[in-house]
Amino acid sequence: MRKIISSLTDGRGFDIGLVALPLGFLFLMSGLPLLYNVLMSFQEVDMFSLGSFVRPFVGFSNYVALFSEPETWPIFANTAIFVTASIAGQFALGFGLALFFWVNFPGASWLRGLFLVSWVMPGLVVGAVWNWMLSGDFGVINFLLRESGIISGNIFWRSDPSYALWAVILANIWLGTSFNMILLSVGLSSIPDDLFEAAELDGANVWQRFYTITLPMMRSSIGAIVSLGLIFTLQQFDLFAAITSGGPNNASNVAQYWAWDLSFRQYDFARGATISVIMIVFVMFASVVYVRSTKQEVRG
Amino acid sequence: MSETTRNRLMLAIALVLAAIYLFPLYWMYITTLKSGSAMFATPPSFWPSDPQWSTYAYVWESRNLARYMGNSLIIAVGAVTVITLLGTGCAYVLARYRNGWVDVGLFLILMLQVLPASLMITPIFVGFSQIGLLDYPRLAVIIAIAAKAMPFFVVLVRATFMSVPMELEEAALVDGNSRVGAFFHIVLPLARNGILVSAILIFMQAFGEFVYSKSIIQAVEYQPASVGLNSFMGPNTNEWNNIMAFATIYVTPILAVFVLLQRRIVSGLTSGALK
Repeated sequence: MRKIISSLTDGRGFDIGLVALPLGFLFLMSGLPLLYNVLMSFQEVDMFSLGSFVRPFVGFSNYVALFSEPETWPIFANTAIFVTASIAGQFALGFGLALFFWVNFPGASWLRGLFLVSWVMPGLVVGAVWNWMLSGDFGVINFLLRESGIISGNIFWRSDPSYALWAVILANIWLGTSFNMILLSVGLSSIPDDLFEAAELDGANVWQRFYTITLPMMRSSIGAIVSLGLIFTLQQFDLFAAITSGGPNNASNVAQYWAWDLSFRQYDFARGATISVIMIVFVMFASVVYVRSTKQEVRG
Repeated sequence: MSETTRNRLMLAIALVLAAIYLFPLYWMYITTLKSGSAMFATPPSFWPSDPQWSTYAYVWESRNLARYMGNSLIIAVGAVTVITLLGTGCAYVLARYRNGWVDVGLFLILMLQVLPASLMITPIFVGFSQIGLLDYPRLAVIIAIAAKAMPFFVVLVRATFMSVPMELEEAALVDGNSRVGAFFHIVLPLARNGILVSAILIFMQAFGEFVYSKSIIQAVEYQPASVGLNSFMGPNTNEWNNIMAFATIYVTPILAVFVLLQRRIVSGLTSGALK
């Protein structure tokens, strides 16, 4: 007994205790739900069997039923559009801003940090503000577009099926650009200055320096940031809840919102679990890419 | 072009860029000060001629914001407490050793970090309802948020512990401290700032959390402000000045903390996400 106590205060037991408790908690509250999710996707779950662990096992029929629904493929296509457009927009704008703020001038780092307010705000608030700005008749976005002559009539961003998804994408790009910019700034500042000086002496112009030094040196940061972007956009839920609720008629529905909607609006928990499993496999894949691209740093 | 002119020019462009980027925030604040008719005027005014300060008091009373904000605060403080107590030790051990087990642990933690809340809520909700945790809805949300956000905290705080020189701890051990003593008297005080910044980041996340609260908390008296804001926004609402006032009251404390601690938060965030 004494030996155990002394090990806890002054030996291996101390480390093991410190790490076992949180890992146990994470296993119980994240690991088990993950496995439970897979189990439920093979079961028949309804309101009556919700409380019992023993439910009819149905094999792959949840998956088969899911893919025979007419809305399944459009929603997965929406997810792909949402993810691709969001990441492209966030990355392009973020990279542009990062390159701009890379030029050192007084106040640069403070102003750059200020951009991050879009990222620390609750998603629901961001959604509410964009919902109002994008409203059809009185939204300020429509007003600005009309005044600058880009559109002649109002766009009904939230209720027009061809714009609803783009309304959410627009808000998501705004939300994520600053985070991309900050991380890209870190990558940029780690490129040694003498590389650029040497290239300049050799007569390379701005574009040549960008393509032959900046981009190759940023390769691992860019990999990490794009996969982080994929992870974050697949987590985006609040904006859908705040702006379109997936409507009209699923025009702006994506898999992560649909899974929640099936479980908590239509009480079809098995179907919700099935989509969750499919999407989690995707996210896991993205995170392996992320871990690999930061591997040197993780190992130290 | 001289150095000063160039700096001034860059600063001016930067200010314009920041103004464009932060326009949604400005629009939120300005809408709260408009009256019902000024809000729907065409063209919209970009500066309120007749600021309606009473909107805040009206929304605070009529939407029962004190209760919503109180619930958000309880949930955020609870989640930060659980995460800090459990996560700090874990981050310390993962920073102190280099071996296969640590790599495996880190990999698992990074994997758990990426699971989307809206996908995990289905099994969490069913599981919690089976073990009866849904009877304590706020506690259930705190636990769910803690499990979701702890990996992020561990990754950030681990980066802090890595920057504490191990020699200091070894010196304390040579001087007769136990491992526990060295941890609490030497390592923790040195890592205090990093832990604080990470805890603040987690607090901001938990304060704005929506999916878990929306799904788990049915009773309106336990709901946080994010759920309250969501139910305030009906599909055909036209009370946008009141909704923006709700959002303003909700978000301004977070923005204030962020602007005050901006430098530290940004550096803490970047050290964890890429290193």
